[in-house]
Amino acid sequence: MDALLQLNKVVKRFEANTVLDEVSFTLEPGMVVGLLGANGAGKSTLMRIALGIIDADAGDIATLGEAPAQLSVAAKEAIGYVPQQPFGYENATVAMALALHRSFYASWDMQLEQQWLQRFALDGKTKVNKLSVGQRQALAIIMAMAYRPKLLLLDEPVASLDPLARRQFMADLFELALESGSAVLFSSHITSDLERVASHVALLKNGKLLLMRELDEIKEHIRLVTFPEGVMPTFGEHIRVLHRREYSWLIDGYRGETWAGALQCQALNLEQLYLELHI
Amino acid sequence: MLELLQVNPSSGDPIYRQLSEQIIHLIVGGQLPAHTVLPSVRQIASYLAVNPMTVSRAIQQLVEQGWLERRRGQPTQVAERVNNHASAEALLQPQLAVLLASAQQLGLSKQQIIDLIEKQWDRSKSTGA
Repeated sequence: MDALLQLNKVVKRFEANTVLDEVSFTLEPGMVVGLLGANGAGKSTLMRIALGIIDADAGDIATLGEAPAQLSVAAKEAIGYVPQQPFGYENATVAMALALHRSFYASWDMQLEQQWLQRFALDGKTKVNKLSVGQRQALAIIMAMAYRPKLLLLDEPVASLDPLARRQFMADLFELALESGSAVLFSSHITSDLERVASHVALLKNGKLLLMRELDEIKEHIRLVTFPEGVMPTFGEHIRVLHRREYSWLIDGYRGETWAGALQCQALNLEQLYLELHI
Repeated sequence: MLELLQVNPSSGDPIYRQLSEQIIHLIVGGQLPAHTVLPSVRQIASYLAVNPMTVSRAIQQLVEQGWLERRRGQPTQVAERVNNHASAEALLQPQLAVLLASAQQLGLSKQQIIDLIEKQWDRSKSTGA
């Protein structure tokens, strides 16, 4: 089994609102996929469907090769998930919460747990309901990663971590993805983090998956080309127009060519790309 | 040599390309003489806080282009090269193209550009910059 998560034409509606519109993609070992999209674009819904927390209205999903609604115990033990708002264990201390959580996972790594507690400066004696937002995120990350899951889903996990903790956490993600052969799906608004961490970027807009590409490829092959007013450019057949705004065309498939009359041909970073697609 | 490297992940240029161009500049500029041993992919990635895959891609490309060499069981090192001078000129091409494009947009003549470069050259020589 190669794919750790596979979605095929997944549709989800909440009443009249289509939250996911025929979304298809595949997560393979070693991939760290940054999931980018506006609030309400369907990022959290996509993760919750993959986990079987909510059902899709149409389409096929294979999570570690199984249907998400009937995940086996073995599959559940190989999945890590950090939701946007962690989470339970409110009246327990950090140490008690970890002890309980640990008991569900045969492959829990105590050393890793201790190392991360120290790194995030979490005290086992603190009560969970006394933790700051950032500390809660740190605890949720330990709980989702200390058993080295094969599939790790992180919903805006680092927004409240300080820059140093974020960097160390990213290094852990690489180790998990590259050395344990896991796949990570990671949603974030912080495009500069995604640019450091992601091997691939998936871009959701209004429930549609506009892009799912290697980050390096996105930067090499996507360009914003601007023409003078009134000029209608013709692009080669290998070029896909992603978006047009007035006299600027956002194109995919650029191979270093030039167009007669083009005023500008600009490479974009993720934030610029995101903005171009949303203006 | 790690402290010689830096990338800007938020640039429109892919990180692997920034990194490989930088290493070429360091080799051509003499900061990395032949046989200098490079840090491992993992060390570079962790120093720059970027995905090791992109570092690995940069190193791989430099090995293919002959800037670096990897012998079995040994760390990657800077390859022996003869033609570094020609490479230095080639490396300036992209910046030259940008300079000429802006100069033409501003309506400067060839002579004006040459004069400007001369003036700037003398100024930077005299300040030692």
